[in-house]
Amino acid sequence: MVVSMSKRPVILDIDSLRVSLFTRRGVLPAVDGLSLTVAAGETVAIVGESGCGKSLTALAVMRLLPDPPARVVGGAVRFMGRDLAALSEREMQRVRGKDISMVFQDPMTSLNPVATVGDQLIEAIRWHDKVSRQEARTRAVELLRRVRIPDAERRLNDFPHQMSGGMSQRVMIAMAIACGPKLLIADEPTTALDVTIQAQILELMKELQANSGMGLIIITHDLGVVAETADRVVVMYAGRKVEDAPVEALFERPLHRYTRGLLGATPSANRRRGNRLAEIAGSVPALSELPRGCTFQNRCADASDRCRAEKPALTPLLPGRTAACFAAEEELSRHGIAVGP
Amino acid sequence: MRRIVLRRLAQIIPLVLAVIVLNFVLIHLAPGSLFDVMTSEQQITDPAMLDQLRHTYGVDQPTGVQLAKYIWSVMRLDLGFSYRQNAPVLDVIMDQLPATLILMLAAIAVALVIGMTAGVLASVRVNTIWDNLISLAAVFFFAAPSFWLGIMMVVLFSVKLGWFPVGGMRTIGVNNGVIGDALDVMHHLVLPATALGLFYAATYARVMRASMLEVFRLDFVRTARAKGLSRARVVLVHVMRNALLPIVTLLGLQLGTILGGSVVIESVFSWPGIGSLLFDSVMSRNFPMVLGVLVLGSLLVAVANAAVDLAYLRLDPRIRAR
Amino acid sequence: MLPRTIDFARRFARNRAAVVGLLLVILVIGIALAAPWIYPRNPLRIVGRPEIWPFVNSRFPLGTDSLGRDIAAMIAYGARTTLLIGLCASITATLIGITVGAAAAYFGGWIDEMLMRFTELFQTIPNLIFVLTIVAILGQKLEYVTIAVGVVTWTPIARLTRAEFLSLRDREFVQACRAMGMSNLRIMFGEILPNALPPVIVLSSLVIAGAVLFESAVSFLGLGDPNVSSWGRLIGDGRTLIRTSWYICAVPGLAIMLTVLALNLVGDGLNDALNPKLRDR
Ligand SMILES: Nc1ncnc2c1ncn2[C@@H]1O[C@H](COP(=O)(O)OP(=O)(O)O)[C@@H](O)[C@H]1O
Ligand code: SF4
Ligand SMILES: [Mg+2]
Repeated sequence: MVVSMSKRPVILDIDSLRVSLFTRRGVLPAVDGLSLTVAAGETVAIVGESGCGKSLTALAVMRLLPDPPARVVGGAVRFMGRDLAALSEREMQRVRGKDISMVFQDPMTSLNPVATVGDQLIEAIRWHDKVSRQEARTRAVELLRRVRIPDAERRLNDFPHQMSGGMSQRVMIAMAIACGPKLLIADEPTTALDVTIQAQILELMKELQANSGMGLIIITHDLGVVAETADRVVVMYAGRKVEDAPVEALFERPLHRYTRGLLGATPSANRRRGNRLAEIAGSVPALSELPRGCTFQNRCADASDRCRAEKPALTPLLPGRTAACFAAEEELSRHGIAVGP
Repeated sequence: MRRIVLRRLAQIIPLVLAVIVLNFVLIHLAPGSLFDVMTSEQQITDPAMLDQLRHTYGVDQPTGVQLAKYIWSVMRLDLGFSYRQNAPVLDVIMDQLPATLILMLAAIAVALVIGMTAGVLASVRVNTIWDNLISLAAVFFFAAPSFWLGIMMVVLFSVKLGWFPVGGMRTIGVNNGVIGDALDVMHHLVLPATALGLFYAATYARVMRASMLEVFRLDFVRTARAKGLSRARVVLVHVMRNALLPIVTLLGLQLGTILGGSVVIESVFSWPGIGSLLFDSVMSRNFPMVLGVLVLGSLLVAVANAAVDLAYLRLDPRIRAR
Repeated sequence: MLPRTIDFARRFARNRAAVVGLLLVILVIGIALAAPWIYPRNPLRIVGRPEIWPFVNSRFPLGTDSLGRDIAAMIAYGARTTLLIGLCASITATLIGITVGAAAAYFGGWIDEMLMRFTELFQTIPNLIFVLTIVAILGQKLEYVTIAVGVVTWTPIARLTRAEFLSLRDREFVQACRAMGMSNLRIMFGEILPNALPPVIVLSSLVIAGAVLFESAVSFLGLGDPNVSSWGRLIGDGRTLIRTSWYICAVPGLAIMLTVLALNLVGDGLNDALNPKLRDR
């Protein structure tokens, strides 16, 4: 699987991205040296507890960080080989919504309450493609059909408050794919929805991706979602990537202790949809009080003196996967598995 | 939708009734009887006319009947007769009302345009020198009495610079046809409308700034940015449309005050509206006229208020649904 | 209670604009109180040549008006009128507003409905026209102007009191009082009112500013009390001379503006100090 993926061109390359929060209490490292790539047609899931920096990572790609307080302070984001940070705001506007689109967590608040769904869709279409209003309208109806909204023609005149959460999220997706993006970032697209609706939305996103070959980053809490949709999983903890693995391998054998915690005692049971990340005792340390060494140490049963003194680096531990955990490293070498690519 | 309109308009009726009753109470507060109030300062001596008045106002009957009669006559738009102008009160007021309406509308336009522009600018450049300057100006205009502002503007723009006329509504003795006349009125309108409007502009600037900052933080603004829209389009189309709503509410609440303010401004600029009429009537204790202005003014505000509410309904689809 | 008050004062003091406003207000109050000592004679008396510009003659630092009266003296005495009317009108408005708002919230039902309609009525009546009507009917007396201004400015206080009462009505301590069998009036004025009062008082301080503006408009029109010196009337009297001596209008207008501005700053400062959350943004 990894091999087949690697044949496809990489469209997004996040390289050692660092995002800091400039607050009164100081400069906090919200995203710390995160790297990740997405190939055309590939689905990458980003998982991690709330506050781990997943959304900020996504917003940094879009260059839509809430500034103040958040700002990119290091690293690079390359899209189709172009460094996005080097683009002017105007050029970036041509990328947003056209090449890279984003779907947000809460569909009920993500649409403008005083404009009709149709107007908002048509605006997205006409902003990037110079077509007549009539043509844009036809395309908008077509888009609503593609996201399976019944009675699309009439729904164009609805206001957001007249739609259910599931419907609104479909509209958001329609808006995101309106101009045929090469990359879609979905930030917890199903978290705010009923379980039955979640399945339909995921189904829809997979289908749209299969038809278009766009890259997909899906940020989620739901391991079922990961199992069903992702090709590769990136696990984040306290602003850092702690593990990166193909989905099958990750469920088979999670390496980082945090990942293990998330998957719980019986990893395979997690693959059912709706199964949230397992609860881990303790909580994520505040960004202002990150400990020396591994940030997970206060919650880790395997924490050693080394973990408390030294920060584990991301290391290629098995073919195609990396993790930043001393215990995993030692375990693998004890079992005679050569550490290294 | 039509039901909502009708229901909103129906709410005006009890309000106007209440104003009429209040009027009646005021008359009774005055020293002397209703009849005295309605006639004493008018120097009416003709016995036939006195008889007729006695009959119209039902002076010799119990209070309840008097009230009923009074309500009935006001409902028939009979607000009494003004001997000073020698014409029915309603006719005199209706003659003067258009000028006041023009002044009010112009002042509201000035307030909305200046206030909203300043508020949007301050919110977009929040915590910069622009924001501070606008806030400072708002604080000053919020505290300056409009009539004083008007006089100072006359000193500067009329007396010293000669750009605008000192007062009045039209240049006397000039006839330029309809368009020329309209331009002439607009020329006379600039200073009074600005003097009256700046106070409200200051309020709107503050409210608009706060409201814009509030809306900026909402999720859909991020969606609009994620679509690739320019900052300008996000601000002007998405944020402003939503930030406007509190302004509309405020405008509805202030209509009565604006009408009151125009009374004073009319006096400063000799604007021939109901303000001057009211002033003249208060000075000459022409009670039917004073009360007539009060009733019609309240009616005007009530109707305008309903119109503003309906406008709000159009602007906010969420309310419409309820 | 005391630490809370100190806390409140500290938050207020952190707001520089509010402190400047407070100093200005104190200055105006000082002038108003000291007026009889600085100018022991009637301020409306003619003392010199008419139309002396400010800063020209040291005897009349703010100049003289069209009749030769000392503008500085009239400003000092005008401060008394202005503050007195502003304060009394605000108290009137606060009393009416609290009564109406508290009754509406506490009793609810049709009483609430009626009282809110009543409030709406006073919001609809063009307020200045109403004040002029009352002055026309009752006469040009200081008391009447004061009451009239109070009567047209109480509506926001009623709405705020009602909102505060509604949010307090169902709190545990009120429920407990009710369970103990306390009378309605005791609960309303003894338990709920003290808790609802701070924001209402802040609003009242802003109402003073509005009342000052109203009073100045009435006197400007020449419908105020003719026997007292007032800033608004000074402007009204000076109007005819704007071509030659516009300072006669400018000086009292500045006095009104600074006073209202100071009152507004203090009111805003009190408000911010009361709701620290709002300021932290
Ligand atoms: N606008 C903001 N202001 C202050 N802190 C923020 C803001 N947005 C995010 N953060 C902080 O940054 C960290 C990462 O947030 P986020 O990326 O939203 O986490 P996730 O999406 O993984 O739940 C959290 O600690 C959060 O509190
Ligand atoms: S590095 Fe140490 S503390 Fe961190 S997860 Fe691995 S074992 Fe636990
Ligand atoms: Mg998030």
